[in-house]
Amino acid sequence: MTLLIQVQLPDGGWAYILSIIFVSLQVSVTAVGVSTLVSLPVALLVGFTDFPGKRVVTAVINTGMGFPSVVVGLVVLILLSNSGPLGGFDLAFTPQAMMISQFILATPVITSVSLSAVESVEQSVRDAAFAMGGTDADVGLVVIKEARYGIVTAILAGFGRAISEVGSILIVGGNIVFSDGQSYTRTLTTAITVEARQGRYEIGLVLGAILLLLVLGVNGLGSWLRSKGRGERSA
Amino acid sequence: MTLSAATVSVSYGPDTVLNDVSLGVEAGEVVTVVGPSGTGKTTLLRLLGMFRRPDDGTITWNDTDVWGLSETERLAVRRRISMVFQEPSLFNAPVAQNVTYGQRVREPWRERIRKSIRNLVGDRTLSESARDALDTVGLLDKADQNALSLSGGEAQRVAFARALAVDPEIVLLDEPSSNLDPRNTAVLEDAIRRARERGVGVVVATHDMNQAERISDRVGFIYDGKLVETGPPSQIFDTPNDSRTKQFVDGELMYDVEETTNGQARKSTSVSP
Repeated sequence: MTLLIQVQLPDGGWAYILSIIFVSLQVSVTAVGVSTLVSLPVALLVGFTDFPGKRVVTAVINTGMGFPSVVVGLVVLILLSNSGPLGGFDLAFTPQAMMISQFILATPVITSVSLSAVESVEQSVRDAAFAMGGTDADVGLVVIKEARYGIVTAILAGFGRAISEVGSILIVGGNIVFSDGQSYTRTLTTAITVEARQGRYEIGLVLGAILLLLVLGVNGLGSWLRSKGRGERSA
Repeated sequence: MTLSAATVSVSYGPDTVLNDVSLGVEAGEVVTVVGPSGTGKTTLLRLLGMFRRPDDGTITWNDTDVWGLSETERLAVRRRISMVFQEPSLFNAPVAQNVTYGQRVREPWRERIRKSIRNLVGDRTLSESARDALDTVGLLDKADQNALSLSGGEAQRVAFARALAVDPEIVLLDEPSSNLDPRNTAVLEDAIRRARERGVGVVVATHDMNQAERISDRVGFIYDGKLVETGPPSQIFDTPNDSRTKQFVDGELMYDVEETTNGQARKSTSVSP
């Protein structure tokens, strides 16, 4: 039995769909990239050092994983709007605004999971790096290298949170498409909401399938890296 | 070249782990620190390795207080010393990369990045000193194997090779053979003798008195945080000056609680009835 689904492509056709895939990836990859650059040093700092209030900081990071995305979007929009404190940068309803909100949502996820990975590296390994003449930076690099598979998991989790996010980017991005049918701030997730609202469920499902394939591809890459790590250990 | 602890004391809270201890090592000398578990041997080695500064007293390198040096100068001194721990603490990487780690951190960043890229594309050339070090511990054939897949004995030998590969002037060994079988212990002790012949100063912390007698030029007996007696093995093991040394040699001092690596867990050594 052959199941055929007749899909009426939206105006702009595949060029439109490719443009929203591009915007989705551009926003999420940039946000997760910047988030990783911030999260890793924070995870190393919190994981390495004892300081008053460490438990509170850890609790705040973990709580951040549950930030409601629409609240984040609302706060970012207020900050970036013309009357907001950052209004002068003119970033509201731009891909950069979407990156900021995704950065805020992904950072606690990447930091928290990275922190667990960093803390699982034994003190004796850090001691060995120090004893071999390593500086603090060298010891940090050793820890990152030893925790690399956990850190990959953290980045994947952050990417999953970012790429599947809809609430905040809808608020701060505005879901804008140019008159020539090319996406400016429309992503796969926000496009699905548009198609669903207009009753065009087939194209919504196609977009959903593309989104799933993207997430699946990235997670497949992560699984491969992790299995490579396990293979090394048992080699 | 001399590395010395001079009248050092260390306390953790109310517990005094080391009390006014002085001990040094010179080039081409093997000094063994013996004593029951938890009496401060590891703490003394960590002071000599500059993991922390003593609460009192000084750690000196050629009569210079290392904690009076700038961080860069102290790093330069640290890089003339290497240390092996009770656990091998190898990295999740091939044996060759473990052994060359100390050499890599001594290189400029540009060179390190260049070598990392070469390594990624499959260039696994070993430096001469890394090759010599692996050969010394009999594991040259394991260079490409992942270090975490080695047996306990092999791993400890790789840890020793890693310490030797940087051509150190001093090597600190903390209970290096406590988890080794007799064959691996013999290989390690042979490697220690060969290092001494090359002019390396070695400090070994152990509670294995037979090993101390086999490899030492000088033995220090440490008990309850105090250095009770130092002397050649013949003195310590045959004609000790202090009654506590004799009790330890005769196996009459009990080991009650293990000391942790940072010396924070205290013990209560006691004389058996």
